[in-house]
Formats: sequence, structure tokens, C-alpha cells
Amino acid sequence: MRGDRPTREILLAAAPIAAAVFVFGASFGVLAVAARLPTWSVVLMSLLVFAGSAQFAAIGVIAAGGSVLTAIFAGALLNLRFIATGIAIAPSLPGGRLLRSLLAQLSIDESYALSARAGTPGRPDGRTLLVTGALLYVVWIAGTSIGALLGPVLGDPKRLGLDAAFPAGFVALLWPMLSGRHAVRCAIGGAAAALALAPFTPPGIPLAGAAVVGIWLAR
Amino acid sequence: MAGPVALALVLGLASLSYVMRATGAVLPNLPAAVTERTGGLAPALLAALVAIQLTGPNGVIHLDVKVPAVLFAAILAAFRAPFIVCVIAGAVVAALLRAVFHL
Repeated sequence: MRGDRPTREILLAAAPIAAAVFVFGASFGVLAVAARLPTWSVVLMSLLVFAGSAQFAAIGVIAAGGSVLTAIFAGALLNLRFIATGIAIAPSLPGGRLLRSLLAQLSIDESYALSARAGTPGRPDGRTLLVTGALLYVVWIAGTSIGALLGPVLGDPKRLGLDAAFPAGFVALLWPMLSGRHAVRCAIGGAAAALALAPFTPPGIPLAGAAVVGIWLAR
Repeated sequence: MAGPVALALVLGLASLSYVMRATGAVLPNLPAAVTERTGGLAPALLAALVAIQLTGPNGVIHLDVKVPAVLFAAILAAFRAPFIVCVIAGAVVAALLRAVFHL
């Protein structure tokens, strides 16, 4: 853990991602309200869950007419990868088990990716995860709130291209990682596993499969 | 959606997410060989997320405006464009193609 990395430097590096998370949050708020969730529950979900893809999956199930249980299942499956990221980040977090389990709640794809980039291979930078995670948490809630409130005014999220903002953002996050050791084969293997599983498994399982393949191909 | 149902959805998803994030963190320190392997997670998951969002439920590529939008974002990323530029460019490409071709 590079404990001396200045907070200012971490925040500056995270600023463009924070802007993107704000946009993601706003688009989630718009879509969740469009799926007929009460505005307060949309904001509460971002406060308590703090996981864009899981929240999107859950809302997607509801919007498609699925049950609450199916929505929870789909969202939780998408968060399965946090078990593995939790294992990766745990040695870099301060305190005992209770404090670390609380601090680990700040891990999302973006904060984990930045901490992995700031750390050494196999040893993400804990301070980067905490500072970035806290920033993104605030921004995610702010974005969600504004999206949920302004959603009905903005119009059709699809017409605004907000659905394409997500895969575009994932590509932008992925690209700089591909220089890492074995990263290209992990990326190809993960995508292939997800596509192979997607036709006959519920949402979340393809991502869990990609996680397994990524761990398998990492060495 | 009724209030109590929405609350059940939020609390159910929140509690499972909490447990999943906490599980890894409370495990005792694992051998370096194990944590080293988790370095493959982020690229695998990001690539999987892109693949899933660009394909239909049958696992075959779904040709809509998201495909050119993501290709454009990938080109920008290859030229080291900032993250937010890639994101907005992706959204703008999709929105423009929808507006022009009524897709």
C-alpha cells in the first residue's frame, strides 16, 4: 500500500470517473423512475446498494415485469464479483475484520479499477480505494437523486443515448488495463465465458463465469 | 410499484450486496498466489459487461446504435482520450444515429 499517495492526487485522478459516475447515476435515476419505482426508493437504493450494474439489473427485471425476488436475485448475482474483489482489496485495508468489512462497501468496479492501477500487481492501493470510493459514493447518490427528480422532464433516456454510455464507459475503463500481465487473455476469456453462458443462464451468472475465468487466466 | 414492495426490493438487494462485499474482507489473509489471481478480475468483468451489453439474449451480437457508439469510444480510448470523453462520445454517437436514422 502506497500510504503516502496524496489525497489531492487521488481525487484529481478520480475526477473524470466521478463525472461519469454522476452521469451513470443520473441515467439510473431516470430509468428507475421510468420503471415506476417511487422516487425515495430509487435514492435509498443508491444509498444502500451502491452498485450501478446490480441496480440496473434489478430495475431491468422490474421494468420487464419480473418479480421482486427475481430482481433481487439478478442484482445480487451481479454483485458476486465483490466477493473476489473483496479478497483482493482486504490486505490493503486498515483495521480489524469489522472495520474492513465496512470499508469494503466502498468497492465498486471503478474504485477497484483505480486502486488496482495505483497499486502493484495483486496488491491494490487501499487509500485509493477508500478515497475514490467515498467520492464516487457521494457522486452516485447525487446523480441518482437528480436523475430521479428530473427524469420525467428529460424525456426518453434511450433517445439521449444514455444506454450506450455504459458500454462506452466500460470500454474506456478496460482499455488502459490491457497493458497488464495476462490482461488481454483475461478480457477475451471473460467476454467469451459471458457470451457462452448468456443464452441459458439468468443475468449475473455470465458475469460470475467471467470472474471465474478471469481468476483462472490471471497466472 | 407500491412503497412496501419497493422497500423490500431495496433492503433485499442491499443486504445481499453487503454480505458479498464483506465476505472477502473478513477472510483471513490469503496466500499471495490467490490474491495475485484476482488481478485478472477487472479486465475479465469489464470485457464481459461490454460483451453482454452488445449482444442479445441469445449471445449473438445485437446490431443497434450501441455497437458503433462503443467502437467509437474504443478508438478514442486507444488514443488515450479521458474516460468522460469516451462516455459522452458514446452517448452522442448513439443519440445522433437514433435521431438521423430513426433507429
